[in-house]
Amino acid sequence: MNVITASNSHSGSPGLIRRLGKALSTPFDPEDYLALFNPLQSAREIRARVTGVHRESDQAVTLTLQPNRLWKGHRAGQHVLLGVDIGGVRHQRCFSLSSAPGDALTISVKRQGRGGVSDHLVSRCREGDVLTLAEPAGDFVLPETTPERLLMVTAGSGITPVHSIVKSLLASNFDGKVTWVHFERHYQQLMLSDSLAALRQDPRLDLRLVVSGDSPRDGDQAGRLDAQWLTENIADAAGQTVFTCGPAGFLDTVMEWHGEHGRAPLFHERFKAAPVVAGEGGRVHFSRTGGQAEAAAGLSLLEAAEQAGLKPKHGCRMGICHTCKCKVSKGRVRDLQSGESRELNGQEVRICIHAAEGDVELDL
Amino acid sequence: MNAKVDHFDPIVFERPGVTLTRSQVEAFGREIDALREEIMADLGEQDARYIRNLVRTQKGMELAGRGLLFLGVLPPAWLAGTALLSVSKILENMEIGHNVMHAQWDWLGDPALDSSTYDWDNTCPAEQWKHSHNYMHHTFTNVVGKDRDVGYGIMRMSDEQRWNPAYLFQPAYNWVLASFFQWGVAFHDLEYEKLLKGEKSWAEYREQRRKIMKKVRKQVGKDYLLFPLLAGPFAPWVLAGNATANLTRNLWSYLIIFCGHFTEHAEMFSEAEIENETRGQWYLRQLLGSSNLEGGPLFHIMSGNLSHQIEHHLFPDMPSNRYKQVAPKVREIAERYGLHYNSGRLSRQFGTVLKRINRLALPSRRTRKNATV
Ligand code: FES
Repeated sequence: MNVITASNSHSGSPGLIRRLGKALSTPFDPEDYLALFNPLQSAREIRARVTGVHRESDQAVTLTLQPNRLWKGHRAGQHVLLGVDIGGVRHQRCFSLSSAPGDALTISVKRQGRGGVSDHLVSRCREGDVLTLAEPAGDFVLPETTPERLLMVTAGSGITPVHSIVKSLLASNFDGKVTWVHFERHYQQLMLSDSLAALRQDPRLDLRLVVSGDSPRDGDQAGRLDAQWLTENIADAAGQTVFTCGPAGFLDTVMEWHGEHGRAPLFHERFKAAPVVAGEGGRVHFSRTGGQAEAAAGLSLLEAAEQAGLKPKHGCRMGICHTCKCKVSKGRVRDLQSGESRELNGQEVRICIHAAEGDVELDL
Repeated sequence: MNAKVDHFDPIVFERPGVTLTRSQVEAFGREIDALREEIMADLGEQDARYIRNLVRTQKGMELAGRGLLFLGVLPPAWLAGTALLSVSKILENMEIGHNVMHAQWDWLGDPALDSSTYDWDNTCPAEQWKHSHNYMHHTFTNVVGKDRDVGYGIMRMSDEQRWNPAYLFQPAYNWVLASFFQWGVAFHDLEYEKLLKGEKSWAEYREQRRKIMKKVRKQVGKDYLLFPLLAGPFAPWVLAGNATANLTRNLWSYLIIFCGHFTEHAEMFSEAEIENETRGQWYLRQLLGSSNLEGGPLFHIMSGNLSHQIEHHLFPDMPSNRYKQVAPKVREIAERYGLHYNSGRLSRQFGTVLKRINRLALPSRRTRKNATV
């Protein structure tokens, strides 16, 4: 499947048919009706059908996805916000795309054990399921001019974006050298092993697998990353451009090492955002206008914004009309009516009945 | 009643046979709040399936209806097509559109059912509707001078509204409003009387009118131009079918909506009465200003569950499929506090609406009840 071609062929088709379709289906879109026959149809969101489910182990899965025409392709190393309906309700989480651009789209997911999106995908996703994707994002991508020598340092799920980068690099006319060290506890947890075995054949790639919980197989190493590992095991590690991705502690080690020794740039991708600071009342940041305000415990976000001189849209001021809904990019809020406290990550709330609990970033 | 005055807990509500103190009204409010929380915490897959199946059914009916109308020269096809299209328009406007725009389904996280982006198959643009309906009508329900649904700017539905001779004709033009209800709804947002009073600028008025006209052009273009043209020689049948479907939807939604707030016992309020209103008092006003319709499950769905007008006004953003479940509990609470729970069959309720329209066509003789809320 070639995603890029698919999307091009559409934009080339006459806009007249589309305009007519739109006029006939107004105020909806033709896709809202076509979706009766094909659930991939949508005018407002990228939907993708799961066309392959490859169980990497009982803890991980690689899904092959066939997106609709709204998907415009990604750059190797980028991630995407993936949505899946669990119990009828849309849940979203970010995943790195493990496929190289131009290949069939894949994501590789490890179970997290918290009953969220990852667990759902690992244990319950079936061929034919429909998921949603946002536009791909992230700047964990190769720079304009590819460096001669690259050092990839990954652990666990950190393998996915780097797999995409390395695969697309080797598919190009790249004539430098890539060293890729991947750390894993057990072989059983290793994702994308089939593809790794194939990539390994390429002389431009020096792939090293380092395991800490099993005895290493032929060509692999035993060990665990520490402050000296890279210096001791990779010739001139400090002189190479580094791409690193993995769990927080692992990343910190790589970045500390780089801070001390590195002489070339380092690119990194962190999976989990830093935890939000919670508390009674808090500081509200207005991401559009750039200001911020201190909000007392019982003060609604709407009042806080008004006190800071902003004029957010609102109506009833009592939670019934939903006029005041506004996106909280990050932070914990308390529902002033029910007393319930929730951590938010890009969801919308009625700011007239929600108060800040700690730092809150508001899209105002 | 010989209620003694307690300065710490004054009587804030009086009707024949009932008095409630401030703390009683607040206790009433807390019971309603608890009911809301119980249901909202229980929402899940069943509800999601309900609305998604309904959307699919509605869209399917619309396609089938429009398809059959192309064969409209054959009378059975025309009848079936028109019926399907009418039902689909009613479902879309009432059980889907109205409720989605109330944010009843925002919790699904589905952009196709989100209150901020949804627009309905109706000449009234979603954005204006959300302002005049979700905010003005639902916040200031039945408050004369604030809630423009009280008479839609052309009818006298309350003694509080000053009489003028034009109202003599309202028993007749009531039916004109009913037939063109979607237009009435679209244009009543313009609030032309505010313009005359100088409370609204011309620029604002023109901007609003521009938005309405943009939507109107699209709606009219679809039903009265494009679909008929597409049918070629059968254009007249398609045109007639579409017009009939829009008319049926208008009459039906008018009927349901007028029965929601203008029945005999539905109360009207003055701006003075709602000053410093508490949440409990707000609930009270929603209960007393609304009236329910009784009927079977299909009737409730076809009315967009506005047959549970009381529950809808207490919980405007609760998914409508849950109203039938809370209704008996609301009724029980209301009765325990001695409050009137206004409910009846469509024919009876609408009869009292017509009575009100006829009575208020003439100037009011008696002064209004001496009650406070
Ligand atoms: S202003 Fe009406 S819900 Fe917030």
